[in-house]
Amino acid sequence: MSAVAPGLDGLLLTSAADDHNKTGFHHRHTCAAAELPAVARAFDAAGYYLEMLTAEDRRAELEKMRLVYTWNVLSNTPDRHLVQCDLEVGATAPSVVAVTAAADWMEREVYDMYGVRFDGHPDLKRILLPDDSDFHALLKDFGRIDGGGDAPVADDDGHAEET
Amino acid sequence: MPEEIREDDAGAMGESYYLNMGPQHPSMHGVLRLKLRLLGEEIQDAEPVIGYAHRAHEKMAENRIWPMFLPNTSRVDYLSGMIYNLAYCQAIEKMLDIEVPERAQYIRVIVSELNRISSHLLWIATYVMDIGGVTPFLYLWDDREIILDIMDRVTGSRLTYCYGRFGGVTMDVDDLFCEQTSAFLDRLVGRMVEYDKLVRKNVIFIQRSKGVGVIDADTCRQYGVTGPSLRAAGVAYDVRRAEPYGIYDRFDFEVPTLTEGDCLARYDVRVREIEEASKIIRQALRDLPGGLVMPEKPKKKFKPSPGETYFAVESARGHFGMYLVSDGSETPFKIKLRTPSFSNLAAMPKVLRGTMVADTIAIVGSIDIVLPEIDR
Amino acid sequence: MPDTVVNLVDSPALGVLIGIAGVMAALTVNVLFLVWLERKVSAWIQRRMGPTEVGPFGMLQTIADMLKLISKQLITPRHVDKPLYHIAPVFVFVPVVAAASLFPFDEHVSLQNLDIGLVLVFAFGGLGIVGIFMAGWGSNNKYALLGAMRAVAQNISYEIPLILSTLSVVLMVNAMGDANTNGMNLAQVASMQHDKGFWFVLVQPVAAVIYFIAALAETNRAPFDIPEAESELVAGFHTEYSGMRFALFFFAEYSNMFIVAMVATVLFFGGWSGPLLPGAMWFFLKTYAIVFVMIWIRWTFPRLRFDQLMSFCWLVLIPLSILNLLVTAFIARAV
Repeated sequence: MSAVAPGLDGLLLTSAADDHNKTGFHHRHTCAAAELPAVARAFDAAGYYLEMLTAEDRRAELEKMRLVYTWNVLSNTPDRHLVQCDLEVGATAPSVVAVTAAADWMEREVYDMYGVRFDGHPDLKRILLPDDSDFHALLKDFGRIDGGGDAPVADDDGHAEET
Repeated sequence: MPEEIREDDAGAMGESYYLNMGPQHPSMHGVLRLKLRLLGEEIQDAEPVIGYAHRAHEKMAENRIWPMFLPNTSRVDYLSGMIYNLAYCQAIEKMLDIEVPERAQYIRVIVSELNRISSHLLWIATYVMDIGGVTPFLYLWDDREIILDIMDRVTGSRLTYCYGRFGGVTMDVDDLFCEQTSAFLDRLVGRMVEYDKLVRKNVIFIQRSKGVGVIDADTCRQYGVTGPSLRAAGVAYDVRRAEPYGIYDRFDFEVPTLTEGDCLARYDVRVREIEEASKIIRQALRDLPGGLVMPEKPKKKFKPSPGETYFAVESARGHFGMYLVSDGSETPFKIKLRTPSFSNLAAMPKVLRGTMVADTIAIVGSIDIVLPEIDR
Repeated sequence: MPDTVVNLVDSPALGVLIGIAGVMAALTVNVLFLVWLERKVSAWIQRRMGPTEVGPFGMLQTIADMLKLISKQLITPRHVDKPLYHIAPVFVFVPVVAAASLFPFDEHVSLQNLDIGLVLVFAFGGLGIVGIFMAGWGSNNKYALLGAMRAVAQNISYEIPLILSTLSVVLMVNAMGDANTNGMNLAQVASMQHDKGFWFVLVQPVAAVIYFIAALAETNRAPFDIPEAESELVAGFHTEYSGMRFALFFFAEYSNMFIVAMVATVLFFGGWSGPLLPGAMWFFLKTYAIVFVMIWIRWTFPRLRFDQLMSFCWLVLIPLSILNLLVTAFIARAV
């Protein structure tokens, strides 16, 4: 268990230090969905801020949706914690808006793009896509262009080739 | 778009009414829409409605191979496109462990800081315009034009640069570039003194900015507000200092910080950041080494090993983060852009409550939002 | 009084008609020139060229603009209150023409030389605000309504220091003249300065400054252009207007600017009095100099906020103008 952010003991499933120079994270954790507000409270109490909240569509390999939180401090000694939380497809996650106001728009965006609902969010509605759209744009089965990976790469202008 | 006018709210307040500001309004930056509930001219509630410039950059990223996302990056924030463009290059370099030649590192710093200056100049221009002063706008635009010309010569574009490559930059700079840049910096010193007299010392400007739209440090942390708005609230957080990327640890510069947290402090912080950026550019020009600007064998097609990478830079608006997820294939599994304006704007409902309509424009202008960056 | 244009022809009715036609023509040309001047001066301040293509120095540009505005289709939005919406531009336009016909351009050239000239000018000036509110209300648009409400509050407030500052001049003229002197008569105020050999701005500097500031606010010029603050209220009370109806508002705004400058010329800068040049020339030179200062200020300052504007009026200008009036009255009594 990490000793850097206090109050996390017992809330996390896994926890490990990470190489900031290589990945940009100082620590990475996983936790159960039910513990998200408690984790958020622990970080908030320690003076961290919610830097980023997003999701990943891991249905193809894990049959799960993954929520990704990064917590960091606003100081010259950064300490970025990556918190991953796997959700059953169709399950809701507890909202952390009550803990940190930044989650308001970020949770709306995750709902907008991935369809993950958050319990306890004061006004969960779409934020970037039109209100009447019937899709969640960043799900992998939406708008996939087949063969995207095989698209040809244009060569550079040759400048780099010569040198 | 279905409109939810909350009848019960309006009824309870008796005299309050809704005013829809934007997305087409002469002083809304880009296509922001504000749903204001007003009592007379006082704002009871403000709700920013965004998404009008959503271009699905993150979805595009998942549908093409890693290098093909490069031109998208500068379109995310068209005012500091260079910083975003280079952020993506550096994120990929971090993921793949690519060495960047020294000369390219220095060039990157110079063009990034030039880009930051041009973005801040534009902010000053539009902010003064927002509170009714038209003339400074044209003067500042004039200075910014020089930067655009300098950049145009080197990168081939004026706004949406695609200058970075994985491992370096596309084109080398020449002596003329260095001369023009230092000539511009010399000129800028005098011009900033002039703006100080024309704008900063103006009584009306001070009245309109001082004590208006205070964002305190705790609100910043609550909402994740970063950049000049955060530094104006007294928190000396700058990604260039906190997590030095590229070669920023080699330069001597300060992180300007004030404590008032109002529009005036945000103005002062940006003015001082222009000076600090000039300082960095001068040092970089002085130390600019010779050599290549690209590695011998640049990578064009690659398959990063699976995993997550986070890379942050200090854009002109704050902490810009890139969260890259690879599944080991040629296409990104996911690219999440953590844009500063998104978080900065999210704090607006709290800040705007209780202010006047005229202040709304000043406050929203003062946090320097770029809508395409928010909507992505 | 044989020295007014109205009395030159035998029939008074014909005289009035000729006079009104003359004033309207003169005002129109004047507004066209003022708009050109504003564009040129602002361009000069901002290191631009301004209009250059149409006519010498682009002087015919505004005529082309006016022709465009006249030839545009009159659009009436569906949601407006039609009677109010249609009549509002006229209500703004007519008092301006009426007020402009009261000035002594030269010792012997004025359309109407009335003993209550000053009162009438301000009375007509106050009428315009009715039209502005009609426009804002009739447009059925929240921005227009906000702009109109601001305009009403601002104009009514700033009329107080405006009139109080001119009253001190009136008091002074009455005290300096004989039993037949009437300080409300614009021609007499001007000729008094001519006779005494000094301008009243020298003896009433405070009143002159108050008058100038209040006049800027009365004409909705920057830094007091709050009723039409384009960065907040789109275009304020005339948001919903286009074509010739918009042109009438525009016309009224610029003519108002000219009228307050003419009042300032008469009250504080000696009217037509001046050496060598003919009187009318001096009159217009002085007026345009004042207009130039107004343009200069507009393109230099940012805009005040509404509450700051009001507190400036009620807490600074009005007490100061009352004080100035009291001091003037005291001195006039003593002398």
